[in-house]
Amino acid sequence: MEVTMALFITKRLLMALATVLLVAVLAFLVVHAMPGSPGAVSLGAGASQEAIDEVNVRLGWNDRLPAQFFRWLTDAVGGNLGTSLIDGRSVSADLATRLPVTASLAAGATVLSAVLGIGLGVTAAVRGGIADRIVGGICGLAVALPAFWIGIIFVYLFAVQSSIFPATGYIPFEVSPRDWALSLALPVITLAVGGAAFIARQTRASMLEALQQEHIRTLRATATPTWKILYIHALRFASLPIVAGIALQFIGLFGGSVIAEQLFAMPGLGQAVQTSVSTHDAPAVQGVVVIATVVVVAVNLVLEFATKFLDPKLRAS
Amino acid sequence: MKLLNSTARRSAAVLAGALLMSSLTACGGGTQAATAANKDTLTIAVDSDSASFGFDPLRVADAQRQFFEGLYENLLTLQPDGSVGPGLAKEFSYSADNTVLTLNLKEGVIFTDGAALDAALVKANLDRRSDPALSAYSAIAQGGAQEVTSVSVVSPTQVAIRFAKPQPGFEKNLASTMGMVVGKSGVADTASLAKTPDGSGPYTLDPSTVKGNKYVMVKNDKNAGAAGYAYKKITFSVIQDPQARANALVSGQADVAMLTSPTVDFAKSKGLGVSQIGGTLHTMVSFDKTGKTAPAFASEKVRQAFQYAINRQSLVDALHKGDIPSWNALPKDSAGFTTELETTFAYNPEKAKSLLAEAGYGNGFEFTIVGSAETQTDLQAVQKDLAAVGITMNIKMATSTDEAFAAVATTPLGYAALGWDNPVGLMYGVVLNGFTNVQKASDEQLTAATGEAAAAKDAAAKKTALIKLNARLVESGWMIPLYESLTNQGYNTKKVQQVQFAGSNAYPLLSSYAPAS
Repeated sequence: MEVTMALFITKRLLMALATVLLVAVLAFLVVHAMPGSPGAVSLGAGASQEAIDEVNVRLGWNDRLPAQFFRWLTDAVGGNLGTSLIDGRSVSADLATRLPVTASLAAGATVLSAVLGIGLGVTAAVRGGIADRIVGGICGLAVALPAFWIGIIFVYLFAVQSSIFPATGYIPFEVSPRDWALSLALPVITLAVGGAAFIARQTRASMLEALQQEHIRTLRATATPTWKILYIHALRFASLPIVAGIALQFIGLFGGSVIAEQLFAMPGLGQAVQTSVSTHDAPAVQGVVVIATVVVVAVNLVLEFATKFLDPKLRAS
Repeated sequence: MKLLNSTARRSAAVLAGALLMSSLTACGGGTQAATAANKDTLTIAVDSDSASFGFDPLRVADAQRQFFEGLYENLLTLQPDGSVGPGLAKEFSYSADNTVLTLNLKEGVIFTDGAALDAALVKANLDRRSDPALSAYSAIAQGGAQEVTSVSVVSPTQVAIRFAKPQPGFEKNLASTMGMVVGKSGVADTASLAKTPDGSGPYTLDPSTVKGNKYVMVKNDKNAGAAGYAYKKITFSVIQDPQARANALVSGQADVAMLTSPTVDFAKSKGLGVSQIGGTLHTMVSFDKTGKTAPAFASEKVRQAFQYAINRQSLVDALHKGDIPSWNALPKDSAGFTTELETTFAYNPEKAKSLLAEAGYGNGFEFTIVGSAETQTDLQAVQKDLAAVGITMNIKMATSTDEAFAAVATTPLGYAALGWDNPVGLMYGVVLNGFTNVQKASDEQLTAATGEAAAAKDAAAKKTALIKLNARLVESGWMIPLYESLTNQGYNTKKVQQVQFAGSNAYPLLSSYAPAS
């Protein structure tokens, strides 16, 4: 059993590594296929061909592709993702300041959407009737409304009209935990609305199925407290698809935070992608793609391990 | 519900309570403590990243002057009234033929790198003009409209700038980013400017800066003029979305914000102050006045027909709400502005048709204009008006920047947004001798009016000359103005005094911001 588990973990880790490597190769090739060279990008329009060639030679742009990739990979493993062609800054250092912003947004929105979604989903499944219909209606509306529109409404109500939250900006946690929470509140809620609706639907369906199970009926017959039946036994039975839904939410929010970052002027990865793509800053684009892939692959790994833990049948296999 | 007994209800209530609490905890208290009057700091919300290319002021254009004014000093400075005053150069003088400008430099100026200002450093800066990446120098590089042929050190405190041709009024350029001086280390290792500024300005960059999001500047104690700046700390907050920028101002994250015209009323309705200035003319420019690319454009009557054919009010109402329809080539706040042109060239399609007939184009004619994503909708509106008088304007979207630039030589008409802060410089550098006149057309009245404006000894003489210049630009059809866009500075009246513009410059001086009394 322990050997099987170790083999499972090793296999999954190797697959994750291979995925990251494959994406890194693809990102590298796409960046090389983009029009223009690093010299032309960094020197701008009007630069002489000699000056462009000089920069390209200095950056090793004319070397064979495998050699360039191996050099990039070696540096990346050592934590060096290269330097920006536009301003010469370290890509790793820049991403290190941006990652906490996007991670805070995605994690905050995932937690909030999970709490709200599970609460609403359980209520809809357990109470049924009008409560179910109300929850269904709210979820339908929340899924249909675009995040940017929800954000605009929240800003208008809670920042412009009532000044409860700041309308824009991000305060790092180390500067002030309270201001950090306040600066995240509206963007997190904005992103969480759609996610909560999605998880609520998932939870409702899973809970309805769980409540039909024989062991739940047995528990009811043995006078087990209802809250225990609902929130311990039934919810655990229903948890697999819910956990998968939550993980997918996080992945989606991590990549989709660009709307919130734009609307709330937050210096996250989404903003970095937008800037680096528009300026053809190849090392920056490559860095963001790889970092985002690492995060997504890591979340998938955690999901797989969690699934294995939650499902006794899978655990035994 | 059968399964939901009283315990379950209590559980549900606890869960609901927990959810509510978590929401409220996330909400926390109000944010306005952060916006309480603090006369030491100023936050300016801007629409773009001023330092997207790093901290070399010569890599940007005049629109970034306000930002770089904090970090660098100019050879000459823009004064609150829009005139040019002393800066790093205490005084300046021209040679009799206006081909040499001599600057006398201040002493005791220290840069971030510890080096001092001298003539050699100014020469080293201006000698960077051959670097194509330096946008601020594009006009003075070889072949540029205001080409500088040499810069020489006359003495440690005196520099002579020699021009390829007479350049009266050149000093105004030295009050823009072109006149900003980078320290010795920065000039020697220009790559270092990507990350670190090397200036002698009233502020230095604080490490709390987050690139592309907020730039924090703190007072530079080594700068003798720093006392003229009211705030100890200034933050430039980059908020690209116009509504988000207005929201930041309303909710107190910014004290001053650049507003777009559609958000002005919203800001005013929230009790904020808004200072407005015009200055940017969105205008069609006749590239071809000799008929080389389209014979009809050789006729002044045809070019005048355009003035009558376009319904500017309708264009603004439909596409640029809040901006000003314009019949003047020069902006509303310019000394050369005259209301007479508004009636002289009022929308009159019948008059346009009769002018076309007089010029021999009673059946109309056809030409092509090169457009871009930014100009497409405006051009389509104009296209409709022109079609109504018989002129067929085909719009070809540029597929590259090269194609857009090449259009000055291959098409008769273009569309540009022109700032008229320095009319003489613009006339000499762009209109009479520059890229908008590839066909080398001439107009005696325009040349004379520009010369009069350049030589004007007082404000009255300058006004007279500029009115002549403006009227002739429109009458000749060299410029076909469409509308003037406003620059709006919203400000929190409880924290900041009314924002003042420096003459007709659309970007207030950093030194002009002051706490509300």
